[in-house]
Amino acid sequence: MDTMSYTTQDLWTWWIAMYLFFGGLGAATLSISFLSDMFCRPHRKLVLWGALSGVVMLGISSAVLFGHLLNHVAVINVLNPLVLFRQPHAWIAWGTQFILWMMVWGILYALPYMRETPGFLKLPVVGRLLQGPFVAWISHCCEKRRRWVGWLATINGIGTAVYTGLLIQSFPAVALWHNPGLPLLFTVSAFSTAFAYLVVLMNVFFPDEADDDIRHRFERFGLILIATELVILFSFFNYTLSGSESGYRSAQLLWHDMGWLVGFIGFGLVVPFFIDLKGVIKGWSTRVPTVSAALLVLMGGYLLRHYFMYAGVYAYPW
Amino acid sequence: MTRYAMVIDLNTCVGCNACMAACAMENQTPVWKNKWRTYVHDKEIGVTDQVLRRFFPRLCNHCANPPCLTVCPTGATYQRADGIVMVDPERCMGCRACAMACPYDARYEVTYADIDTGKAFYGAEDLQRRVPSMDKCSFCAHRVDKGMQPACVETCVGSARQFGDLDDPNDPVTHLVASGIARPLMAHLGTRPNVYYIDDMKRKG
Repeated sequence: MDTMSYTTQDLWTWWIAMYLFFGGLGAATLSISFLSDMFCRPHRKLVLWGALSGVVMLGISSAVLFGHLLNHVAVINVLNPLVLFRQPHAWIAWGTQFILWMMVWGILYALPYMRETPGFLKLPVVGRLLQGPFVAWISHCCEKRRRWVGWLATINGIGTAVYTGLLIQSFPAVALWHNPGLPLLFTVSAFSTAFAYLVVLMNVFFPDEADDDIRHRFERFGLILIATELVILFSFFNYTLSGSESGYRSAQLLWHDMGWLVGFIGFGLVVPFFIDLKGVIKGWSTRVPTVSAALLVLMGGYLLRHYFMYAGVYAYPW
Repeated sequence: MTRYAMVIDLNTCVGCNACMAACAMENQTPVWKNKWRTYVHDKEIGVTDQVLRRFFPRLCNHCANPPCLTVCPTGATYQRADGIVMVDPERCMGCRACAMACPYDARYEVTYADIDTGKAFYGAEDLQRRVPSMDKCSFCAHRVDKGMQPACVETCVGSARQFGDLDDPNDPVTHLVASGIARPLMAHLGTRPNVYYIDDMKRKG
């Protein structure tokens, strides 16, 4: 019984990496947009772009998972919030509720801004809905309780980002996944990619010099999170080098792979770290380096989850 | 109380795969894609003239602390009072988290396509399954409830498989487990499995 065999899995592959990536990115984007709006200064464009693209990302994330279910009808069992009382130990149950309510509170927080944006009011169906008495009443309520709605969205957003790590952590057979570092790594990565995404938005889609303070703050936070991610990854490297054969084999898979080493560690973290470091210390004359670094961070965010899913090694006693 | 367990003696398993066939017929598993509720691994251990051929039957370990149950978001995976871990196909949405959580590779998918193939393979009227879901060994709970042995135990020609109640002090399975001769797989994971193995290497050494 002491002869073991080792294998990776082919059940949760690129599509679950997409689910984790878009789930974490969407949730963190919403949270950061709303926190900035509540505590920096009100910013209609940031909230609208952040909320709507965040909701789209969460929608893509959920659609990818839904598309891969074996029985789509049975999904009704996790959509009911009471599932948290029946299955409080199942992270997918929590994640589904976090994502659903994140989208609801996200739309509600953005609703007052949508009602004062001509672009939305001109849309065929949406415009009529936004001007209707019911939506006007909801929007008024949300405006009166703006902080409450914002916090509810933010809590669900942070919950979603942490959940993406807890989900993978709950598989005990794989040393790379079943450790306290993974939820931390995925949470840091989710917020790092969200800052990068917002930097892209603010530099490309609604550049405004009056927003330089927010943009620079996002760049600084992004830089700190990239550095934190590098530290966590280094501790993962040390953790997997000894202690269990499963972890050691995962380390061999990861650190002998050029996609991981050059693609993720190199271009997804180290290169953007130095570009952002120069941007924060000395500044850049154009927006190109900052936007390029942000795009690299986004690519790295997906690669991290992709490689983690493929590098999980199961140890079987046969 | 009753706490069902199985002991598998690796010294007497001859690798005839009758357990796999009996289980497949009893539980209508998708054998056409090489998915089984119980599977016998055939492995050669050693070098030159010291080679030992080992047959290693595996199945769901019906853990007392089952990770497949804790990750199941719908509650489709549940545990009976007698310790048998079951799957309710009607509740299962097929997210595969249970298969990812299982350290014993006990779970597999049954898809809509498998149900169609199953109708041709097992007969449209005889096929029990109506909806896709994740699937695994149930210790043949439907047979156990009638006082019968699981199909794999009943059919085993070498009596390599024994099924019993760990809460019955007179059960031979209880004796084998209590003596330490039969040991669980990967106990360090904290899953508290209820399938135990008698090692072949020590006896042959």
